[in-house]
Amino acid sequence: MATTAAAGPSRLPLPAPSSSASDTTAAPQATERIGPDVGVLRELGKQALVEALNEVQGSKTLVLDPALAGPLGLVIDVASLKHHGVDKMFWLEPGPLSVQTRNVVWLCRPKRAHMLVIADQVRSSPGLQYTILCVPRVTELCRRVLEDEGVAGDVTLAEFKLELIPIEDDVLSLELDDVARDIYLRGDDTPIYYASLALTTLQRAFGRIPRVIAKGEHAKKLAALVQKNRPEVDPSEHIDSMIIIDRSVDWVTPMCTQLTYEGMLDEFIGIKNAHIEVDPQVLDPASTQTKKRKHQLASSDKLFADIRDLNFAVVGARLSKLARRLEGDFGGAKALKSVSQMKDFVGKLGGLQSEQQSLRLHTALTEKLMPITRTEEFNKTLEAQQNLVAGYDPNAQLALIEDLLCQQAPMSAVLRSAVLMSLTTGGIKPKPLEAFKRDFLQTYGYHHLPLLVALQDLGLLLKAPSPAPFVGARKPFRLIVDDVDDASPNDISYVYSGYAPLSVRLVQAATQRSALTGDAKGDVVRMEGKRPITGFKGMDDAVAALPGASSDIGGGKAHGTTLVFFLGGCTYTEISALRFMSKLGGRQYMVATSSIVNGNTLIESFGDPAPVPFQ
Amino acid sequence: MTLPISPTATWDTIENVFYRKEDVYQMAWKVPDLSDYLVAVGKNGGPVALMRDERKFLLLGKHSAGKPKIQVYTSSGRLIATLSWELAPPVLLHFTQSTLVVLSDEGTYRLYDLSSPGDYSQFTLGPDVADLGVVSARAWEDGLVVLTGGLQFVEARGWKGGKVAPLALSGLTEAPLSWAITPPEQSMSGHVEVVVSTGSTVLTIDSLERIDQRLSKGPFSQIAISPNGRFSALITLSGSLWVVSSDFARNLSEVDLSKFVEAAEGTGQPDRVEWCGDNAVVVAWGGKVVMFGPGGDTLEYDYPPAVVLAGEVDGLRIISSSTCEVLQKVPDASLAVFQPGSEHPAAVLYDALDHFERKSPKADEAIRSIRPDLARAVDTCIEAAGREWDVTWQRRLLKAAQFGRAFLDLYNPGDFVAMAQTLKVLNAVRYYEIGIPITYDQYNAGSPASLITRLLTRNLHLLALRVSQHLGLRSDAVLKHWAAARIARAKSDPRDGDSNTQLCEAIVDKFEQEGEKGVSYAEIAKKAWEAGRVRLATMLLDHEPRAAEQVPLLLQMKQDKIALEKAVDSGDTDLVYHVLLRLHASLSPGDFFHLLDDSISPQLAPAVRLLQIYARENDRQLLRDFYYQDDRRTENACLEMEEGGNSSNPEERVEHLKAASKFFSEHKDRGFEAKMADDAARLLQLELQYERELEHKFIFAGLTVDDLITRLLVEGLGKRAEHVRSAWKVPDKRWWWLKLKALATTHNWDGLEIFAKSKKSPIGYEPFVTHLLALTPPQPTYAASFVARCDAKSRPDLYALCGQWGKAAESAKERNDKPKLDELKRRAPPGLPQREVEEVIRRQK
Repeated sequence: MATTAAAGPSRLPLPAPSSSASDTTAAPQATERIGPDVGVLRELGKQALVEALNEVQGSKTLVLDPALAGPLGLVIDVASLKHHGVDKMFWLEPGPLSVQTRNVVWLCRPKRAHMLVIADQVRSSPGLQYTILCVPRVTELCRRVLEDEGVAGDVTLAEFKLELIPIEDDVLSLELDDVARDIYLRGDDTPIYYASLALTTLQRAFGRIPRVIAKGEHAKKLAALVQKNRPEVDPSEHIDSMIIIDRSVDWVTPMCTQLTYEGMLDEFIGIKNAHIEVDPQVLDPASTQTKKRKHQLASSDKLFADIRDLNFAVVGARLSKLARRLEGDFGGAKALKSVSQMKDFVGKLGGLQSEQQSLRLHTALTEKLMPITRTEEFNKTLEAQQNLVAGYDPNAQLALIEDLLCQQAPMSAVLRSAVLMSLTTGGIKPKPLEAFKRDFLQTYGYHHLPLLVALQDLGLLLKAPSPAPFVGARKPFRLIVDDVDDASPNDISYVYSGYAPLSVRLVQAATQRSALTGDAKGDVVRMEGKRPITGFKGMDDAVAALPGASSDIGGGKAHGTTLVFFLGGCTYTEISALRFMSKLGGRQYMVATSSIVNGNTLIESFGDPAPVPFQ
Repeated sequence: MTLPISPTATWDTIENVFYRKEDVYQMAWKVPDLSDYLVAVGKNGGPVALMRDERKFLLLGKHSAGKPKIQVYTSSGRLIATLSWELAPPVLLHFTQSTLVVLSDEGTYRLYDLSSPGDYSQFTLGPDVADLGVVSARAWEDGLVVLTGGLQFVEARGWKGGKVAPLALSGLTEAPLSWAITPPEQSMSGHVEVVVSTGSTVLTIDSLERIDQRLSKGPFSQIAISPNGRFSALITLSGSLWVVSSDFARNLSEVDLSKFVEAAEGTGQPDRVEWCGDNAVVVAWGGKVVMFGPGGDTLEYDYPPAVVLAGEVDGLRIISSSTCEVLQKVPDASLAVFQPGSEHPAAVLYDALDHFERKSPKADEAIRSIRPDLARAVDTCIEAAGREWDVTWQRRLLKAAQFGRAFLDLYNPGDFVAMAQTLKVLNAVRYYEIGIPITYDQYNAGSPASLITRLLTRNLHLLALRVSQHLGLRSDAVLKHWAAARIARAKSDPRDGDSNTQLCEAIVDKFEQEGEKGVSYAEIAKKAWEAGRVRLATMLLDHEPRAAEQVPLLLQMKQDKIALEKAVDSGDTDLVYHVLLRLHASLSPGDFFHLLDDSISPQLAPAVRLLQIYARENDRQLLRDFYYQDDRRTENACLEMEEGGNSSNPEERVEHLKAASKFFSEHKDRGFEAKMADDAARLLQLELQYERELEHKFIFAGLTVDDLITRLLVEGLGKRAEHVRSAWKVPDKRWWWLKLKALATTHNWDGLEIFAKSKKSPIGYEPFVTHLLALTPPQPTYAASFVARCDAKSRPDLYALCGQWGKAAESAKERNDKPKLDELKRRAPPGLPQREVEEVIRRQK
């Protein structure tokens, strides 16, 4: 039967790390950032895996959880795996294995489904040595499943502590999927515990972080755990404070469409584990392949570093400027007179070529985004979102959302706008809400009914009247900024063309107070960087009015760097906003997050999977 | 002052290499003949275990009858413990750092805790080994290798009763004459390796492969691997000693033993081959001990009737009925100072001290002569002090070092202080009552912590505590062991109540007084519980700060609810799962739910949520029971929805949807959801009905309302589409969009025209235009036909979009919209469109 053959595990088609591995090594970027070297964490991750692999003697077949391929690719490459005895690699999927080695090593998240597949594979290829490496640790549940399946005695369970992975010099991620769903919807605090373990490891590497501020119920829980498991090490010389932001304090931000270049790429093309899928011709015009290739988006690509945080509106201009410059530089070859000029030019050539390559990539990506920004759907959605956030004429926005629904606009776009409406206006009136839900289910399918129930449970889609803390936060946190200039912004609100993400404003309230009054510039900001952070003092009422408790533990001297941990995920716009704050020249910000999310991935995670097709 | 005999009095040479044999102890025991026993000796000056060898014939009356006991002595022959053994005959006795391992020939092994002889843990090597039996076994610190009755080697690591791992197939057909192992720390591969004599050759076997070394000298009656794993010493049946590198590539020496073989009683084959450090090989025949140098020179010693050889990293311990001696190559530092005629600066310094004490001016002269090397001389004297057994010589050497130090401007006294500190410890444990003849190098090869463990297994708590404090180590381990022993001793005291409080206080006081923070009370509590003192255990547990430590014991003590609460407090979800699963397995369903039901107290709420997550994935029935017990209708309904979605049978899915609707309807605020779930069921039923009516030409099942309408319209089943529209009360706007799209997809332009005219469009006519333009390929001609019906204001742009620039200009002109006209003129592509626009503008003028 052809179908079963196809269902069996297939050889890993491509090395897990992307084509960019060479790019990243080819152009090491001189980092101007001051602060701890996050490469240590990458090294720790790599070391842990190598040690775990070396525990198993002889050559081995590695079976990899697809969900780990991305995160793993960020710490180790295939060549190193081969170097440590990995003979062949397969994806972890149902079906028998074909193994030629004495050892089989599975590398996976500790999930029941995986254990069942593994148990089957153990039974179908008897007489080998089996090791399961659970990431980041072995759980009781896994052990239990293996016992119930009767293979516990044959299998060695070990763990591979892959925790915070540096996906950028200033961004660390646990790369855990569906954290928001687990914590807020299901009440599973496992990710919080993992986060606390990871933050303990981080402090072991960089030194103790003396001050920890948290906002939000679960953030407070995490802060308490971090405090309890604090390693006995000297205080960090760089990071003087950590601010933990609970995603549930600010749902509005991820529901808005991100308007930075990287944010747009994530929303409309999708970035997974810092990789984006592109046509092979975009990377190599000579390529004849048709299969999409994964490319790592990183700041070692100078052009990308330059434009990733910009508002998309100005990206086109920036690209064409570079194109003209490159044309000039290449054209310059004809005008070379002396040998030394030629030598200079040839020296530059390598740089020019990689710049040209990167220009080709980003021009292609921009060309993909452009038409989307011109569609009626995009503009209507954006209009509705911006009006809702600003609190302008909610009824008209409801009509807009209904129109989008009638036109069968993408489901998540419609639902994000409805959620935004509920959050910014204190719920939707019962009648229109029911009508909306009814139409919604008829259009996108009744299987989304549990999703709607879930959104209600989460407080994201409620009947009016409901409390709307966002309304009260607009003013004290200066969330709406009318006169922001997308091209040369003076405030973080440029990332949503006029809306400053509440989550980042909270960070500013604790560490860069001047931004709340609009004076964040020059000496003021530099002074703020040198003083110990203020915390929420003086803004207590405004902070308390937002959902969830807050906590503030510790103190200590100022070292100028703050770690911002987003529990439940953060968006690219929030990272851009924090980078913007770092660039002001005062306090430096480092981002850590459970994963990078956007409105679509959040909403999708709250719902059930699509129904199976009928026979 | 009379100095004791010179340190060189114990020295001897073989082929110009100095060896020394120190007489360490006179044995306190009364053991006439060591050859009657199975013997094990602990590394690094460890204890000696003796067990009567049942396979040897006994002289009546020489030994007491009955099951044999295992007796454990110190190296000075003082009895520490007597252990009982009632299993099948043992094949191996082996000391690890803290336990004595005894393995039976049926593959069962026990780990005896020497500090409380009654306590042992027992494991087996599994049924396979038990069936075949164990022929012989070898062990190292962390595991053992056995040769089974099937003549295969099997490895077991960790002393925890874990799974055994077979090594590569041996291919042996008869039991080998001899074999040995290279422990993982010494092997090239980092895994244990077996060296076994078979036929004329030797095999090396590890878990991956079996290598035939292709030798012709065999068979070998003895194989010994040097402490560093790099050399092997083998005895051939023909009676020669062969020393070779462990890869059998380099011949180091071959010595003919025939002289000794002939002199020996019995078969003449040596009883034992052992390495003295990594330098020389020692062979024993009965009580005769012969050390061989590489060229065949020998040193001979006699200890009738029998002797035990214990190899150490830096030498060899020789234990006989009456003495315990240490034989080793003279360390370099001692050689430098004491070798007759030595001109080493250290020797000069040592002499200078002598001169100085005799107030001889030669002292100054001597120091002057070694001035450039003085620092080295001082270091060497310190080193040498560490290698002496006798306190007098230790003092003398340290004094020399101190003397030399005075002439140095900058000298870090760290080494000096550390050596003095270490020697204090070493002398204390070497005292014959303690009986641990550990050398400085052995002490360094192990660790201070392992020495402390050794003291604890002897219940020498005070000494252990003082040693760890002296060395600045954490005293946790000592305190824990002390407390456990204290509880064990108090076990006999029958009075409860007061004594519990006192004992608890005594332990807590001691911990707070002597230990730093972070001493774990959980382990002590466990001991108390095992000793049957539940109350004391609970009291001690309250002092334990770490939940992960508390929970397992609380579970054992059946303190279910407290265990669950502590687990929840810890924030470690896996710990909560651990408790939940244990409770689910041990309690009746009623009790289990009752325990969680009490948990309306918010404290246990996280556990209840985790139970749901677990049950959702692993045990749907448990989940349903729980939802039912807890009146969770909404969750139950959503579960039905999900299961419906997972069913590939339409009828089943309908049933699930109906059940979901029913659950929703039982909740007072879920009327809307009940209706929706019911609609979902009705929709699926209708779709199935249509499929039947249309003789299964189409597949509708699973479509959404919108998709169904679209499909029906596309397939020309308009009546049915209308029916769905009215049955589901599809609003006008959506209906118009759906129909517009369906008609456009089928290119039914006439139908579209009729539809557009059927009544005033609730969505306006712009969508007609834009949608037709958005098709692939776009349909500008048909799109343009709807522009006239759109808002006058937007017509110019819409026409322009359709590429009808003339009409665009006309419509702008009609509204007298001059700016628009100019704009169109600018935007119009050159050629006909531009001329059309210009034409209109001209006409207007």
